[in-house]
Amino acid sequence: MLLLQNARIATENSPVLLEGDVLIVEGKIQDIGKSLAIPEGARIIDARGRILMPGMFDAHVHFRAPGFENKETITTGSEAAINGGVTGVVMMPNTRPALDSATAIATVLENATHRSRIPVYTSGCVTKNREGKELAEIEGMRTLGVKMLTDDGDTTADPAVLLRAMQYATEFGMFFASHCEVPELAGPRALNEGVMSYRLGIKGSPACAEEIIIDRDIRLARAAGAHVHIQHVSSKLGMETIRWWKSRGDVKVTAEVAPHHLMFTDEHIGDYDTNYKMNPPLRTQADCDALLEGLKEGVFDLIATDHAPHTPFEKAQDFISAPNGITGLDTALVSLYHHFVEPGKFGWDLVVKRYSAEPRRLMGLPVAAIEVGQPADCLLFDTEAETTFTREFMKSKSQNTPFIDQTLKGRVDMVILGAEILLER
Amino acid sequence: MARKDLLDIASLHREEIEFLLDQSTSFKKLFTRSVKKIPALEGKSVLMLFYEASTRTHSSFEVAAKRLSAEVTNFNVDHSSITKGESVRETIETLQAMRTDYIVVRHGHSGLPGMIARQTTASVINAGDGAHEHPTQALLDAFTIKEKFPDPRGKKVLIIGDILHSRVARSTSTLLQKLGVEVAYLGPGSLVPKYVPASIRRFTDYEAAMTWAPDVVYLLRVQMERQDVQFFPSVREYHRVYGITNTRLAEIRDRGLYIMHPGPVNRGVELCDAVMDYERSLITNQVENGISIRMAVLDWLTPGGEFPRQEAYAAQQRTSPPVIVP
Repeated sequence: MLLLQNARIATENSPVLLEGDVLIVEGKIQDIGKSLAIPEGARIIDARGRILMPGMFDAHVHFRAPGFENKETITTGSEAAINGGVTGVVMMPNTRPALDSATAIATVLENATHRSRIPVYTSGCVTKNREGKELAEIEGMRTLGVKMLTDDGDTTADPAVLLRAMQYATEFGMFFASHCEVPELAGPRALNEGVMSYRLGIKGSPACAEEIIIDRDIRLARAAGAHVHIQHVSSKLGMETIRWWKSRGDVKVTAEVAPHHLMFTDEHIGDYDTNYKMNPPLRTQADCDALLEGLKEGVFDLIATDHAPHTPFEKAQDFISAPNGITGLDTALVSLYHHFVEPGKFGWDLVVKRYSAEPRRLMGLPVAAIEVGQPADCLLFDTEAETTFTREFMKSKSQNTPFIDQTLKGRVDMVILGAEILLER
Repeated sequence: MARKDLLDIASLHREEIEFLLDQSTSFKKLFTRSVKKIPALEGKSVLMLFYEASTRTHSSFEVAAKRLSAEVTNFNVDHSSITKGESVRETIETLQAMRTDYIVVRHGHSGLPGMIARQTTASVINAGDGAHEHPTQALLDAFTIKEKFPDPRGKKVLIIGDILHSRVARSTSTLLQKLGVEVAYLGPGSLVPKYVPASIRRFTDYEAAMTWAPDVVYLLRVQMERQDVQFFPSVREYHRVYGITNTRLAEIRDRGLYIMHPGPVNRGVELCDAVMDYERSLITNQVENGISIRMAVLDWLTPGGEFPRQEAYAAQQRTSPPVIVP
């Protein structure tokens, strides 16, 4: 039994924070109100000055298992999630072997049951081994609860293959998540084409490489009557393309934006810092501004980190040799607070809606809400405290993040899931 | 004023550039003596680490180091453990253990010499990294131009060709601008990026570029090996549209323009054969000046400096999980 006293409660529907006590009994929220009576045997938490909000949900993470356990495992990945206030995740299927069959999915889910303290969901491949040729065993994966199909990281190059997959899988109530990139235009370097790519002498990836596939995949979804979810949009025109299609209303399209694309530009790469090497690449301030506008407007339904761990050994190579990607689970919530909520660019309601409620809705899951009768799935956030992202602080097995050794405003103090306190600082 | 490394032109101050050009003048005077060697770097070791093929730059550095009495070791990439899958970083660790004083490095990846410099006590000299920088080429180009125009301020240099893939274009244009020279680029739209610095004029038409009245025409080698897709239809068309043809050479001769090229030359592509005999071709001068410039650079740098990210690097090593060699 847990009584959180005098918390300020954030919801997705109002920028105004409610104030009150929350009583949790046997993993469920039993009562919410002002000055609740203290039941016998209850542990009392003084939450005064701190914010109570639903646990975050990240619909785009890479836990690297099976196949790349030197970078991350389901255990370390989910502990990184808890460290950052995230209480549910959707894994991407770019593992080795790729998650393209019921057998592979079953193994991952079985592992997750034993090795994670939070629910871990997984997406499945569109095509076998993510090769873009033969359809994966889609229905078999559905029977194990897979809802999201994606050839993650590799755009399904042949539009005819993707169209057929959409026509087939939509019948089973599944949807498609698209990494949007024309590989022939983007090249392998993960650097925006522009002033910085000229200065650094690295062939850049033009934003049109992303915009073309955003448009293509939405058109394919429209033709198939499918639902397409556009992943980690990085460009202004990409955002505007989605906005336009949404305004038409004749195709089901959702989209996500990653915190790093809102916060950093290609200028941050500076002297070839591989912690800023990611795909899609960081673009310009104008792109960041447009993405923020898109997030506030609702063009982006959700925030997702694209948590992409790589070992220090791999990232310590030169910029061209180093792999793409940064970790995000440990840092997302605090960095969103530091960069946007604290300076007043958006409120907690947006964070709760876009990083907790909408991702769960996308996956067809019940929304975590701080309401009487709901299971306890929440976190306490201290807006006055600070977090220093040292290597020791991070729970991810890899620490390839631009936030390394930075101190940001805000701290995740406590994470509660059901009857368990998963984190307490 | 001395530095540990020479990695780029962009970070060099004008005073440093002037100093190196002056020193190069002094070293060049040695070339006419019967004994060309001086003991300036006696007891020092220079490691040549060339991951890409090179004739001019490699031999130029080697000659420069030997004229300063340094010991030169050639690291033969073809016969090293790199062929067994050793990463560049592991190679750097091995080299650091050898305590060499200078590492002259050429690599196809932009930024790699900087990475080496941060992890070794040796003075690292960038002898060309990807399409990023080639600082000693820029210095020898500037030196060659200054021999013809002692005060180059206000002079105009037209750089023609594959700007997109050219480290020479980046370094030389940056350096010339620091000396007050006006720079313009000319080349196919597919090879002259639209986002080059605003201070550099951009032409796609040869005649228009000539109207700009350059003093020097600097031709870049068409780097077929770097072009993963086709950037122009054929070398024949390239020569006709952007090359120095016999007809254009006549006009250049009439105008008294100088011609430069970093080599090696693709004859019949960037320029016609006759350019090699043109009295205002500075191509051979560039090669000769490369030696004195590189002597000046080696003499100027101070090995043994700190490597700034070593501590962070060591910390990474401590937390690194078991290494899997890619």
